[in-house]
Amino acid sequence: MEYKVSLGPQHPALHEAISLRMTLDGEVIRDADLKLGYSHRGIEKLAEERSYIQNIYLTERICGICSHSHTTCFTQGVEQLMELVPARRGLYIRTLIAELERVHSHLLWLGVAGQESGFESFFMYTWRDREVVLDILEWISGNRVHYAMNTFGGVRRDVDELQKKKILDSLGLLKKRTDYYLNLAASEPTFVGRLAGVGKLSRQQAIDLCAVGPTLRASGVPMDVRKDDPYAVYDEIPFEVSTADSCDVLGRAVVRVKELIQSYHIIEYILNNLPAGPFKVKAPRKVKPNEVYSRYEAPRGENVHYIRSNGSEKPERLKVRAPTLANYPATIAMLKNGFIADIPLIFAAIDPCICCAERLVQLDDVRGGGRVLRFSELRAMANERAKKIDYTKKDIAWPF
Amino acid sequence: MIERLVHWSRVKSPWVLHLNAGGGCNGCDIEILAALMPRFDLERFGVQLKGTPRHADVMICTGAITLQNRDRVLRVYEQVPEPKFGVAAGACARAGCVYRGSYHTLVGIDQLLPVNAYVPGCPFRPAALIDAVVKLLNSVK
Amino acid sequence: MNPETILAKIQGDLAACIQDAALVAPRRIQLKARPEQLTAVLARLKETFGIAHLGTISGVDLGENFEVIYHLSNADVTVSVRILTPRRDPRIPSVCPVIPGAILYERELQDMFGLVVENIPDPRPMLLCDDWPEGQFPLRKDWKFERPAEIIPGGK
Ligand code: SF4
Repeated sequence: MEYKVSLGPQHPALHEAISLRMTLDGEVIRDADLKLGYSHRGIEKLAEERSYIQNIYLTERICGICSHSHTTCFTQGVEQLMELVPARRGLYIRTLIAELERVHSHLLWLGVAGQESGFESFFMYTWRDREVVLDILEWISGNRVHYAMNTFGGVRRDVDELQKKKILDSLGLLKKRTDYYLNLAASEPTFVGRLAGVGKLSRQQAIDLCAVGPTLRASGVPMDVRKDDPYAVYDEIPFEVSTADSCDVLGRAVVRVKELIQSYHIIEYILNNLPAGPFKVKAPRKVKPNEVYSRYEAPRGENVHYIRSNGSEKPERLKVRAPTLANYPATIAMLKNGFIADIPLIFAAIDPCICCAERLVQLDDVRGGGRVLRFSELRAMANERAKKIDYTKKDIAWPF
Repeated sequence: MIERLVHWSRVKSPWVLHLNAGGGCNGCDIEILAALMPRFDLERFGVQLKGTPRHADVMICTGAITLQNRDRVLRVYEQVPEPKFGVAAGACARAGCVYRGSYHTLVGIDQLLPVNAYVPGCPFRPAALIDAVVKLLNSVK
Repeated sequence: MNPETILAKIQGDLAACIQDAALVAPRRIQLKARPEQLTAVLARLKETFGIAHLGTISGVDLGENFEVIYHLSNADVTVSVRILTPRRDPRIPSVCPVIPGAILYERELQDMFGLVVENIPDPRPMLLCDDWPEGQFPLRKDWKFERPAEIIPGGK
């Protein structure tokens, strides 16, 4: 019997409150479709009515998890339009915040992945450690979510010696915890078994569908804007692009854990090499008519702002493409021929935002007798399936 | 007698539904979850997050309501059994925050639903949410 | 390959279908094409240079015309291919046959600017709410929004 599931429509971020509609054949998903627009807020129109400096605060509120990503992307674009060279110390601090944000976002994702695969205590652990990062961010910027650090020409707050020391201390703790998670995950066959082989996305598919970020890198494509098109100070910082070639949710988890470790290195490097000098320079108010295409590697993937100026104080056009939007076509491909019990995992694997995980899933009452499922039931089904996996299978191995 | 028992349990253990109304960044949603995590632990007040409106007493709304979501928010609110309490959490839910003036959002939850408590901040700190819940419970007592 | 060689190659290779190719910023190439030749240009860029990652498609309202810009990138450069389409009859070809991942951006253009994307595999509206009035395209410059009056709870 064929029936239809609709999942959503709650999902935040740019235009990303989303409803997935799937056609099922038994437990197998035959077709999936997206309905977006639940969280469309008309930001691009609003941006045209605001001055550049006001727009920093607007772009910050595109997404709560990667708030720094959007402002950095916007600021560096406008700086290019203004032909302004930002202060070097400012750029370093900007990068520091960006990496701290990546750490908190990936820890958050690890927790969600743990929860969706029925590993509840892992969820609590990672979220507790995430608070450490948030404390650092709060100490530097004064806020837990919207740091409001960026401004044209640099950043708004400096990092002093005491803060530096405290960050390095906390980093030691985080490193220890991450190692612990690695070991835990490596010796925890349920976790590996649940994630391996779920949500396949082949290399060619990932390229064709223009996937970005860890989703793309887990399919073996080493695309990372930080390396390909270095912005801020990434061309001076040594780091590696993390990839995996297992093309499944496990691969995406691996990529993120590797990136966590890389991020710790980057943060250490930045703190040890922080240049002296001013942390911001004065910026002009007006911007010459021009256009710029600004790219940024957010925790979820490539973030893109296209800004066009017209010589006044307000932008002519601001186009924002958040990474999750780019990953939707790939998500549909991953869902097809998967199991209904894998939906939460697959959907979580592109790292949309956590709140969607708390939302209802309802089976649409279609002809032929639909029934209503809640997300908790769906998750219970997912956990049920996790129990049935044969962990003695030989080809499952944690790739560390 | 039964009524007193129900009232007592409602005050001692309110079940909340967290609803994202669509038009907000998810900063507030993350802070709600952070409030339930070990660090802040809202659950020590008996507060439990529920996935369905039918089990909930309190509905915490975050984000401005988008036009597309308007009817759905109403539908969820109607499903919450009486007596119900609405909490508007965050600047978006209170007055639209930076999205004021957008063509696709309503300014504030209170344009659509009755609200019992407002939590200020963009985003509020988890402590502010706890404060709001405690105050709400005190007023119900 | 460094951006300069790519630019030179593009100029040699695609001379028939593009105008004004230039390196406008480090690692940013801009091209102009005619709408009829867009798919050919993109297919060429994809096959010969491996420039296949479509970042986004931006539309800009220029008054008389709409400008549509396709931002493509590979590991070395970002190429922006722009086309113009008149406001009276805004039509652009769909690039989904070449780049399947373009579908959401094309649907977005249809919603926000009222462009007609020809042969688009999935023409349904995407972003705006279900009861959005026909023929209203918010990102056009002449579209203005009037905010309805607010209800102040408990107020007069
Ligand atoms: S109040 Fe601020 S943090 Fe909360 S949803 Fe709105 S913009 Fe985001």
